[in-house]
Amino acid sequence: MKNRKYVFLLALIPFLLIAFLYEIIPLAMVIINSFQPDAGGGFTLENYSTVFSKLLYRKAILNSIKISLLSSSAGIVIAFLGARAAHEHGGRLNSVFMTVLNMVSNFAGIPLAFAYMILLGNAGFMVNVGKEFGISALADYNLYTTNGMSLIYVYFQIPLSTLLLIPAFEGVRREWKEACTLLGGGRNVFWTRVGLPVLMPSILGTFSVLFANALAAYATAYALMMNNISLLPIQIAGCYTGEVKIRTGLGGALSVTMMVIMVIMIGITNRLSRQFQKGVVRK
Amino acid sequence: MKKKNMGAPIIMIAILIYLLIPLAVSIIYSLFEKWTRIVPEGFTLGNYVTLFTDQAFLACLGRTVVMCIIPIVLTVFTVLLALFVTTVYFPNLEKYVQIICMIPYTIQGVILSVSILSLYVASPTFLSNRVVMLFGAYCIIILPYIYQGIRNGMRAVNMPMLLEAAEMLGASKLYAFFKVIVPNILSAVIVSSLLAVGIIFGDYVLVRNLAGTSFQNMQIYLYQTMKSDSTKSSAVFVVIMMVTFVITAVVLFLKSREGRQHIQKRVKE
Amino acid sequence: MSYIRFENIVKNFGTHEVLKNIDLEVEKGQLVTLLGPSGCGKSTLLRCLAGLESVTSGRVYLDGRDITDVNPKDRDIGMVFQQYSLFPNMTVEQNVAFGMKMKKMPKDTIAAKAREMLEIVGLGDKLKHYPSQLSGGQQQRAALARAIVTEPKVLLLDEPLSAIDALLRHSLQIEIRRIQKELDITAIFVTHDQDEAMVMSDVIHLMYKGKIDQSARPTELYTNPSTKFAATFIGHYNVLSAGEFARLTGEHIDSADIAFRPEIIKISDKPVDAGGCYGMKGRIQVSLPHGNILRYAVMCGDIQVDVDVLFSGVVPFETGTDVYMAVPRDACIYL
Repeated sequence: MKNRKYVFLLALIPFLLIAFLYEIIPLAMVIINSFQPDAGGGFTLENYSTVFSKLLYRKAILNSIKISLLSSSAGIVIAFLGARAAHEHGGRLNSVFMTVLNMVSNFAGIPLAFAYMILLGNAGFMVNVGKEFGISALADYNLYTTNGMSLIYVYFQIPLSTLLLIPAFEGVRREWKEACTLLGGGRNVFWTRVGLPVLMPSILGTFSVLFANALAAYATAYALMMNNISLLPIQIAGCYTGEVKIRTGLGGALSVTMMVIMVIMIGITNRLSRQFQKGVVRK
Repeated sequence: MKKKNMGAPIIMIAILIYLLIPLAVSIIYSLFEKWTRIVPEGFTLGNYVTLFTDQAFLACLGRTVVMCIIPIVLTVFTVLLALFVTTVYFPNLEKYVQIICMIPYTIQGVILSVSILSLYVASPTFLSNRVVMLFGAYCIIILPYIYQGIRNGMRAVNMPMLLEAAEMLGASKLYAFFKVIVPNILSAVIVSSLLAVGIIFGDYVLVRNLAGTSFQNMQIYLYQTMKSDSTKSSAVFVVIMMVTFVITAVVLFLKSREGRQHIQKRVKE
Repeated sequence: MSYIRFENIVKNFGTHEVLKNIDLEVEKGQLVTLLGPSGCGKSTLLRCLAGLESVTSGRVYLDGRDITDVNPKDRDIGMVFQQYSLFPNMTVEQNVAFGMKMKKMPKDTIAAKAREMLEIVGLGDKLKHYPSQLSGGQQQRAALARAIVTEPKVLLLDEPLSAIDALLRHSLQIEIRRIQKELDITAIFVTHDQDEAMVMSDVIHLMYKGKIDQSARPTELYTNPSTKFAATFIGHYNVLSAGEFARLTGEHIDSADIAFRPEIIKISDKPVDAGGCYGMKGRIQVSLPHGNILRYAVMCGDIQVDVDVLFSGVVPFETGTDVYMAVPRDACIYL
């Protein structure tokens, strides 16, 4: 009876096979490649020195961090306001709101880029409106820059972050609000002194998801600019699929850099969130 | 006494408008011949007619369906087996399965695709086949969602007790798992599979990097028509969005039904 | 040889010893209860018989056969769990049919027997219902039907009524006992509720810290506990050590402890001179009515003695009254 149970380990084989073939070994190889010259063999830090010395890659790293921070910050603020509104307001509007959020949460990548080209591209609808009514902010909007593109990034962050934050608001108890009112605090006092601190761990957690989401976003940027923009994911893909020769070492180093940025961000938000977790009982 | 708070609905409506404008504009765009000024001109369904008579489009629609079904069936089956073995026989291995399943969450598409590509592109075996690589990558990218769906389903049904009950009635553990546990977590499996369909359907980066533009799925098709014909591509866009919305609607429906059943159960307690 | 026999059962979870050398026998056709506080090992012992836990050492015999290493599914044992063990995707009928299907019984036999058994447990009209459509009590009736329809050699009940509210629980206790006698089933019942054990069992095995503390018929366990634990766990005995007892009464006893029931004590605000009694003095701390019983907590120095009197609507002694108590010597149990 005892030994027979080890037969069941065989049932793990299909899972492990897929995981090793397409997840673990490839990832391990990327990390190993990043420390090897493209020709293979040996150990070198050259790839990393290229990443941090060449302007193109330094700019890609900075641009990626910039657009990720910017869009995540904007996303989290809008999500907070939206989730709070959904929390305070029930009824039909709320269910419409939830349905639309769920619907557009899959709206990203190429289709989203396309919709924005129609909206704010060179001859986009809003640009035309801007020209007609003399609104220069719209008329002169340039979608094809890192800054112009961040509007699209903000767009795909909103449904994701709002959907992630709404459950957290269930933890804000009505009794707290009532107690706050009875003690003489208004709505703003409640949210700044009680609501926000209680929600902070969830907000930070959501922020790190958003950051990772923006950092890895590829299709949107590629659809608009192809390879002509310096963002990390575009540069990584370029190392492997470019018309020139495949540069696994450099691509590996860029990939590792991107993963490290993500891990640092997760570390920072975890650290901060522990500050807020004192006394807050986690379920 | 209570002051009606108008801020909440205003914020919600503002967000709704922001989210719906790009969709609305694209839909209108697909229904008209010309839209160079404020008002579109010449209503037409021609874009849709051309699209659905286009062999290439229909072929890539079918291709996308196949690309969804095979990896999802594979992943659901292997994760079910793995979780059966770990929860029933080797509970201390469970956390490793979990780690493996959650890694793709953080690495996402670009790194996954290039790592698989660089590893197998020069392989002399079938592993270098672009479509095989793509299937493998899809299996991995949907892993977190499938895993969590199945895991949550198992938690909700008190699996250990049901397995013991079946065993006392003379069923083997394996039989009990597939006849008793799996039917009960079926709706959770379907919901997570549909989420996976949404992901694969919306994928561009994996298919572009691994299979190249020769292997067209819906996103690649959209991308390529985008460069040549913007009104036709707006119709492709609408089709993609419709499919995505239908998937989400089914997921929402299944989830709300499940939620209601849970509430009923709790009332009975 | 008895029908079920546990022989020297030891069960360890890691370094924690859950069962310590248990020897226990059960006669055919009896309903036997394993009673004890949570963590005493009663469920573990039951699960060892079911085969859901393996024993660390010792043997288990059922109907003359050593089943220690037999797979649970081949032991021919029926089991009723705590709530929610019915398969939620199957109707009540399908649940009851499951075990018979595993035994590959013919289809029409299965249908007939399932219906018959559900009639017996009073669910004849719920065949096509799903478990979520049944109340907690009905679910457990169905679970009972599922466990006994295959006519197993023994029926195990692992706290089956613990999640059910008090009123319904009582009627289910009587119901289970009736069915067990009617069908002549050998059953082992696990519970932490002594009233439940009293109502249902032929024999109660009181368990404490992984050991059998006392085995006795319900009435005997109530009137004649043989250990300090049995006396305190069953029916609220006053248990005093010899030293405490000497301080209260000035009398010396040979045993380590003495136990006496609260209702045998005579209480008065005047000194009583009753022959054949131990006398004590104390002050009433508090008095609380429990149904038709009024329970006084009497403080004798730092030792509390509980005294029960019939409650007829008036409270004869106020809090703070000094009282005299007489405990009949022949009603005391020396432990």
